[in-house]
Amino acid sequence: MKRLLPFIIILAVLAAAVGTVLYMKRSATQASTPAPSAMPRPSVVASSDPGADVVASSDPGADPPHALGPPDAPAQLEEFGDFECPPCGLVHPILQTMEKEFGARLRIIFREFPLTPTHQHALAAAHAAESAGMQGKFWEMHDLLYENQKAWHDAFDVRPIFEDYAKRIGLDVERYKLDLASEVVERRIFLDMKRGHSVGVKGTPTIFLNGREVPFESLPADKLREVIKAELSRPHP
Amino acid sequence: MIKNHAEPVSSPLASAGKNFSQSQRRRTVLYAAAGLFSLLGLADSIYLTIQHITGQSVRCTIVAGCSEVLSSSYATFGGIPLAMIGAAAYFCVFSLSTLAAFGYRSAGHLMTLVVGLMFVVTLWLFYLQAFVIRHFCQFCLLSAATTVLLSVVVILIWRMRR
Repeated sequence: MKRLLPFIIILAVLAAAVGTVLYMKRSATQASTPAPSAMPRPSVVASSDPGADVVASSDPGADPPHALGPPDAPAQLEEFGDFECPPCGLVHPILQTMEKEFGARLRIIFREFPLTPTHQHALAAAHAAESAGMQGKFWEMHDLLYENQKAWHDAFDVRPIFEDYAKRIGLDVERYKLDLASEVVERRIFLDMKRGHSVGVKGTPTIFLNGREVPFESLPADKLREVIKAELSRPHP
Repeated sequence: MIKNHAEPVSSPLASAGKNFSQSQRRRTVLYAAAGLFSLLGLADSIYLTIQHITGQSVRCTIVAGCSEVLSSSYATFGGIPLAMIGAAAYFCVFSLSTLAAFGYRSAGHLMTLVVGLMFVVTLWLFYLQAFVIRHFCQFCLLSAATTVLLSVVVILIWRMRR
């Protein structure tokens, strides 16, 4: 028995390690994967959809959402992002490529999900983007924030930097500054985050394609392209 | 009065035997310590591996560079998360230290090699964090500290052998 004891200990630790990985992976997936129809697919989610109740129970998010592409596009991609999160910054050019490649077949929706307090400027960046959105320039600010993420990430005070971005995209800066603290902007961020929590978003970027979460490892351009193509080739009601 | 010649302490052979037994016990304690440290490293690596696989943002509570480090191109090696390779290394050290504690001498020698290799990799990763990525991740620093502790244990065992 004594000769076997070290092997028993090693096997027990191995079993515990593998069990922990499987359990935590499973709980993470369950927590962050909404029901297949938990996404807004206005033209697809019909009353015959068995998951329609889940759609009704999940929070709708800010309305109207920031979206690129036609509302009836067969592939609806919803991103929950944080402007200060480096992986989101890496996904940003990939989504731009997908937008160009798939054109009217793809609709990209952006939802605010600032990870505070982990990312100290994430909330300020979300406010800046939403304030730009009040003047119809959300996507311009969105792109600038992601493209210059490293430039403002370590700044002590990001307000002058974001004001400079506002100038660069041609915003009325005084109105932009007023909107930063407005209730509308505050509420849009709150509603997007509420939606994120209701569909189980835990981190960023979290991306859903027609209601199904796209795993993080499928976010490189070549893999995401395949995922979208597979989604488009599926028969839609 | 005639002294008892069989008294163990007075015999040089018995004394040597006692010293050997003490040294053996110390080695076993050190191997057990190595096993415990490697379990700490294993838990840390498993946490990071799960965060990587599930795509969650790792929250740094002491330093603020987890995202930068863990989303950098250095976080994977040949497509495999570095944390997963670390978990395999720590499990390897745990297995070898357990076997060595139970008297498998060759396992102890192999453990010295593995920990030496881990120490070199740790130095490289620390350099990357400090001078290339310019951010530190607390979970990576914990792993580095664990490897340093393992190296200290290995050095102590090696000095006892000499």
